[in-house]
Amino acid sequence: MHEPFLKVDAVTKCFGGLTAVNNVSFQVQKGEIVGLLGPNGAGKTTLFNVISGYYAPTHGSITFSGRDISGMPPYKLAALGIGRTFQVVKPFAGLTVLENVLIAAFLRYPKRADAERHAWNILDKTGLTDRANVTAAGLTLAGRKRLEIGKALALEPTFLLLDEVVAGLNPTEADKTVELIMQLKNEGMTILIVEHIMRVIMNISDRLVVLNFGEKIAEGTPAEVSRNPLVIEAYLGEAAA
Amino acid sequence: MKNFTARQGVLAFVVLALVFLPLLSSDTFVLRVVTEAVMWVGLAIAFDVIAGYTGYLNFGHGAFFGLGAYTVGILMMKAELPFAVALPAGGAVAALAALIAGFPTLRLKGAYFAIATWALSRAIQQLALNMDITGGPDGMRLDAFLNPQFFYYLMLGAVGGTFLVLWYLLERAPFGLKLKAIREDEEGAKALGLNPTMLKMQSFILSAIPTGILGGIYAYWITFIDPSSTLGDLVSDQAVVMVVFGGMGTLFGPAIGALLIFAFKTVFWAYLSKFQLLYLIILGALIAVSVVFMPNGLWGTMLKRRNTVRREPEAP
Ligand SMILES: Nc1ncnc2c1ncn2[C@@H]1O[C@H](COP(=O)(O)OP(=O)(O)O)[C@@H](O)[C@H]1O
Ligand SMILES: [Mg+2]
Repeated sequence: MHEPFLKVDAVTKCFGGLTAVNNVSFQVQKGEIVGLLGPNGAGKTTLFNVISGYYAPTHGSITFSGRDISGMPPYKLAALGIGRTFQVVKPFAGLTVLENVLIAAFLRYPKRADAERHAWNILDKTGLTDRANVTAAGLTLAGRKRLEIGKALALEPTFLLLDEVVAGLNPTEADKTVELIMQLKNEGMTILIVEHIMRVIMNISDRLVVLNFGEKIAEGTPAEVSRNPLVIEAYLGEAAA
Repeated sequence: MKNFTARQGVLAFVVLALVFLPLLSSDTFVLRVVTEAVMWVGLAIAFDVIAGYTGYLNFGHGAFFGLGAYTVGILMMKAELPFAVALPAGGAVAALAALIAGFPTLRLKGAYFAIATWALSRAIQQLALNMDITGGPDGMRLDAFLNPQFFYYLMLGAVGGTFLVLWYLLERAPFGLKLKAIREDEEGAKALGLNPTMLKMQSFILSAIPTGILGGIYAYWITFIDPSSTLGDLVSDQAVVMVVFGGMGTLFGPAIGALLIFAFKTVFWAYLSKFQLLYLIILGALIAVSVVFMPNGLWGTMLKRRNTVRREPEAP
C-alpha cells in the first residue's frame, strides 16, 4: 500500500471559541482532482489555510508526500511544491502583471533571464500575455483571478489548491478557466479545488469532499455525493435560509 | 530607445562634472555645499530601501547616521584607531543596530512601525546625551583633517558606490522585486516562497550600512558631533521629505529629490536667512502639494507620463 500524496488527518482549527474546521480527515492521490464542497462558512478556506501553512492546525496533522508539514510556514511549503490561490485575490497591485508572475518564478529560477522566460510562458498559458505590462490593479476580476492561478503555477507546484477561481466570472471566462484546469490535470497536476458552481465542480472533480459547519459530512464520486441525503439537506437548508 | 540614451548621456555628464568639480572650482564653499548635497543623495537612497521599496517608513533613519558618526568619533578619539578602521566599524554598528531594532519593530505595520522607530531613535539620542564616552550634550570634537578635496572624493565614492550596489540589488537582481512584493502584500508574498521576516531584515540592514558609513564620514569631515546635530530628527525628517518629494521606491527619485531640496535649502539659507520661518512654511507647502498632486513623486510622475506615451503602440 502506497503513501497518499496528501493526507489530512483529524484536522481541527479553532478561532477562539469558534471551531471552523472540526476533526476532518481525507486523502488526495497523485494526479487526482478533488473538489471541496460546502455552504458558505463551512470551513473550506480555513482548511486551505491550514494545508498551505497560513494556520497551524489546532489538532491533527497534514502529511504531504510522506512528510509531516503541519505548522510549516507557507514559503517553505511553496518550495516543497504546494501552490495556492486566494479566494480574496492578492495581486501585487502596484506592480505589473509580468512582475507579479516573475516574483513567483524566482523560486525555481533564481537568474532573472530564466525567470523572465518562465514568466512569459506562464502568461501565455493563462492568457495574460497582452496584459503583461499593465499594473495588476488595472485588471478586471477575471484577469485578477487568472493572475492568481498564474502566480501559483509559476512556482511549478506538484500540488495546487484553487479557492473559488471560477466564481464571479461570466460563462465565457469561466469556460476558459475550466479548460485551463483540465489542461493542468492532463499534465498530471494534483488539484484540490473549492468551487460553488455545481456544473463546474461536478464535471472536473474525480472525487468530492463535502464540509458543513466545519465537519466532513460526505465523501465520494460526484454521482455518489449528489445522491447523499446529508448533502442535499445541507444545500437545501442553505437555499431555504 | 532614444529616451534611454538621452538619460544615459545626462547621467554620464553629471558623473564627469562631479568627478572634475574640484579642478573646475577652487571655491571651498562650493566644494563644501556639493559634498553635503552628495551626502544627502546617499542618505535619501539608503532610506528608500526600507521606506520606498519595502514599504516601511523608518522615522529613526537618523539614528543609523548618528551611530556611525559616534562610532567613528569614539574609536578615533578614545581608542585612537585610524579612520580607515573606524569608518567600516561605523557601518557595522549601524547594521547591528538595524538587526537588534528590526526584531521587534519589523513586525509592526504602517504608522506603528514609524512611531516605534522614531521612539527608538529618541532613546538612542537620550543615551548619547547621558553617557560620558559620548561627551553628553556637549558632544565631541574630532582631530581636524583639513582637506576638503579628500572629503569630497570620499563622500562621492561612498555615495556612488552605494548607488551602484543598490541599483544592482534593487533594479537588476530579484531582491528588489521581492521587497516590492512584501510592500504590496506581505501575506500573499508568503505563498510565493518569500520569507518576509528575512527579506525585511535584509532590507533594513542594507539601508543602515551606508547610512552609518555616511555618518562616519560626516563626523570626521565636520570634526564636531553632538546629539542634536547627528541624532536629532533632522536626518530622518529630511530623508522622508526628499524621498516623498522625489518618488518612493526608485533610486533616481530620491536622488533628484535630495538635490532639489538641498539646493533650495542652501539658496534660501544663503540669501534669505532672515526668513527661516518662511523656509519651513514653503517646504511644508511643497510637500503637501506634491503628496496631493504627485503621489508617485517627481520622478514617478515623469516616468508615468513617458510610459503612457510609449505604451500605446506596443500593445498587440
Ligand atoms: N481568521 C479568522 N478568525 C476568526 N474566524 C474566522 C477566520 N477565518 C474564518 N473564520 C470563520 O470560520 C468559519 C469558516 O470560514 P471559511 O473557512 O472562510 O468558510 P468557507 O470558505 O467554507 O466559506 C466562518 O464562520 C468564518 O467566519
Ligand atoms: Mg471560502
